[in-house]
Amino acid sequence: MTVAITAQNVWKNYRLWGRGSQFATLKSALLKRDLKFEPESSVPALKNVSFAIEKGEAFGVIGRNGSGKSTLLKIMSGILKPTSGRMIVQGRIAALIELGAGFHPEITGRENIYINGIMLGLSRREIDARFDRIVEFAGIGEFLDQPVKTYSSGMYVRLGFAVAVHVDPDVLLIDEVLSVGDEEFSAKCVAKIQEMKYRGVTLVFVTHQLDQVRNLCDRALWIDHGEAVMIGDPVRVVDAYLQQVAGGARATPPAPSSQDQEVPAPSEEPEEHDKNDLLEEERWGSGEVILRRVALVDTEGRDLVALGAGTPVTVEMDVEVRVAQTDFVFGIGIYHADGTCVYGTNTDLEGLMPDNLDANGRVRFVMPSLDLVAGSYRIDAAVHTRNGRAFDYRRGVLRFVVGSRVHDTGVYRPRHDWKFEGGITFRSVDMLKRNVPAPIAEYIRENETPPAPEPKPTFRKRKKRE
Amino acid sequence: MSDLTTLYRHRQLIAALTARDLKARYRGSILGYFWSLANPLLLLGVYTFVFTFIFNRFDIQAYPLFLFTGILPWTFFSAAVLESTTSISSNAGLIKKVMFPAESLPMVVVLSHLVHFALAIPVMLAALVAFTLAGKASVHATILLVPVLMILQTMFVAGLAMVVSSASILFRDLRDIIANVLQLGFFLTPIIYPIEAITSRPLRALFRLNPMTPFVIAYQDVVYYGRLPNLSDTILMIGYAVASLLIGFFVFDRLRDTLAEAI
Repeated sequence: MTVAITAQNVWKNYRLWGRGSQFATLKSALLKRDLKFEPESSVPALKNVSFAIEKGEAFGVIGRNGSGKSTLLKIMSGILKPTSGRMIVQGRIAALIELGAGFHPEITGRENIYINGIMLGLSRREIDARFDRIVEFAGIGEFLDQPVKTYSSGMYVRLGFAVAVHVDPDVLLIDEVLSVGDEEFSAKCVAKIQEMKYRGVTLVFVTHQLDQVRNLCDRALWIDHGEAVMIGDPVRVVDAYLQQVAGGARATPPAPSSQDQEVPAPSEEPEEHDKNDLLEEERWGSGEVILRRVALVDTEGRDLVALGAGTPVTVEMDVEVRVAQTDFVFGIGIYHADGTCVYGTNTDLEGLMPDNLDANGRVRFVMPSLDLVAGSYRIDAAVHTRNGRAFDYRRGVLRFVVGSRVHDTGVYRPRHDWKFEGGITFRSVDMLKRNVPAPIAEYIRENETPPAPEPKPTFRKRKKRE
Repeated sequence: MSDLTTLYRHRQLIAALTARDLKARYRGSILGYFWSLANPLLLLGVYTFVFTFIFNRFDIQAYPLFLFTGILPWTFFSAAVLESTTSISSNAGLIKKVMFPAESLPMVVVLSHLVHFALAIPVMLAALVAFTLAGKASVHATILLVPVLMILQTMFVAGLAMVVSSASILFRDLRDIIANVLQLGFFLTPIIYPIEAITSRPLRALFRLNPMTPFVIAYQDVVYYGRLPNLSDTILMIGYAVASLLIGFFVFDRLRDTLAEAI
C-alpha cells in the first residue's frame, strides 16, 4: 500500500491582525504610523497533527465545531498552508468544501460546468469527454442551457457534486457536503462515493454525521482543540467521541470478564488495522450495561462455530445491568471476513422504544435461516444509547464459518431455483463429467447411475426429486 | 518567476473566467457591447462640449478625436485598477473553498477590461476615418503601433492590479483611496489637454512621474499626431511596465498565503 496523504507535525496558527479589529485600514495605519505586517497574536487551530492515509482508504475526521477539522481539510486541499510541519498529498485532489463554489449565477449550467471543471484542474478536452456523464449525474435536464441563477438549490448542489466527482481525482476531500440535498440525492452521493472508494480513490470526510463515518470509513480521526485525540477504527473513534461529548470524562472500559482486553489509550497510533485481522475481539464502552456472554446457538441452544447455508441460528446475549437505564438499544452486526457488512440492525432501527432496563436478562436475536455464502464471518454485538454512545460494544465477539459445497460467490445466498422453459436445455449429465459445476457433481454423486441422456434441463429433474 | 509560470499554467482558467465575466456582464442586455462604450463616450461628449463651446482654450483640430485617444487607455487603466481592488474579496468563495490560483482573479479583471478597450478601438478608428474625410485629421501608419502600446500598458496595469487586489484584503479602505486618486489622476494626465499646454518644463517632467502620462502621450502620438513616441516616453513606458510587474508579483507573493485567512 502506498501512502496518499501524509501529515507531519502539522501546526496551524490563525493570525489575528490589528488590535482586535477585523479590518485594518490603510488610513488608520498611516495616521498612527504603525503599518505593521506582523500579526499581533495568533490562535492555534491545529497542534502537531501527524498521520498517514493510505491510498484507497476512506478516512473520516470528526470533532466538535471549531476543533480544527475544516482547517485540516483545507490544508490537505492546499487552500491553506500549514504554519509549520508538512502536508504531502499525492495525486490529483478534488475538494468538495462547498458545492458549486465557483458557479457564476448569470451564465448557463453548460458554461459553468466547463469553468468549474477547469478550476478543478481539467482541460477543456477532458471536460468534453466527461460532459454527458456530468449532465446525466446532475439530472438537470433542460435546465442545462439556463443561467444557474434559475436553478433550485438542489439542482445547484447536484451540479456542483457532479462536476467534482467526475474530475476523477486520486484524492477526494469532502467537507460536510453529503448533508445537503434531499434523501435521493444523498443516497446517490453515497453510492457514487462508494463507487469511487471501490475504484481506489482516497477519500477524506469531515462530517458531523457519525453514521456516515461508521458506515463509509475505514479509519477515523478525532480532533479536539486542534489535537489529534484518537485515530483508528471508525466505530471505536466515534464511540470514544460520543462518550466524551456525553460525559465529559473519559470512558473507562468495562471489565466484566477477565478475557477482555483494555481499550488502548487514546491518541495511541493504532496497530496497523488489517481488515482481515479478525482474530481478536475488540471491546469498549462505558460499562453501565454489559454483554456478559454472547453466543451463536442452534435451535437446541448448542453453541455453533460452523454452519451450513440456510441453518436456523440465534444470537444470545446475556445482559448484566450495573446501572439501570431507560435509553438503550441492542444491536447486531454480521460482517464478512473481508470487512463487508452483511447485515446490521438494532432495536432502535426497528422501532422498538426502550422502556426499562433495570435487571439482568437475556436478548435473543433469532434468525430462522441464515442464508450466507461459504466463508468466515464475525458478529458484533452491542448495547448503547439511542444516539450511539456505547455501554458495551463487542466487535468480533463471535466468529463462525459457513460451509457449502457450492462455490457460489458473494455474501448472501437468496433462496433460489433455476427454471428453464422453451428452447433452453442443458447437456446430459454424461457429457458433463469432465468439468462439472459443483451442484451437478453433487447430483451425480448422489445418483449412482447417471440419468438417461434425455435432453431435459438437469435442474428440473433435480428439483422434482427434492 | 514562479508567478508567471502559475499564470501560464492556469491560462485556460483565466481565459474561461474572463469569458465568463464578459458573458455575465452582457447577458440579458441587447446593448451589452454599447454599454461598455457608454462611459468613455459620455466623458467624450461632456469634455468636447465644455472645451469646444465653453473654454475654447486649446487650439486642437478634431478635438473629440484627440480626447478619444486619451480617454480609452485611461478608462482601461482606471476601471481595471479600481475593479481589481474587489476582485479577490468578491470571489472569497473561490479563495476559501476551492484550491484556486488567486493571482488569476486580478488578471481576469485586467483582461476583461482589455477586451472592452479593444472593442472600443473600432469606434476610435471610425472617428479617425470620419475626421480624415472631413479633412481635419489623417490616418498614419504609426497607428499600427497601438497593439504594442496596449501590450505594454496591460503589463503595467496587471502589475498594479496584483498589488491593489492583494493589499486591499489587508486594507479595506484601499478602494476608496484609489477611487479618489484615480479621479485626481484623470486631470493630472494629459488627456483633456495636450502635454504642451504645460509650459513650465520642470513641471512637465514632474507630470511624467505619473505613469499614465507617457502611455497617454504615446497613444496620442501614434493615433492623433501620426508620429513615433519619443525615446524618453518609450523608456518610461517600458520601465513602468516592468517595474509594475515585478512589484506586483513580489507583493502578491508576500500576501498570497494570508489571503485565504484574511479575506
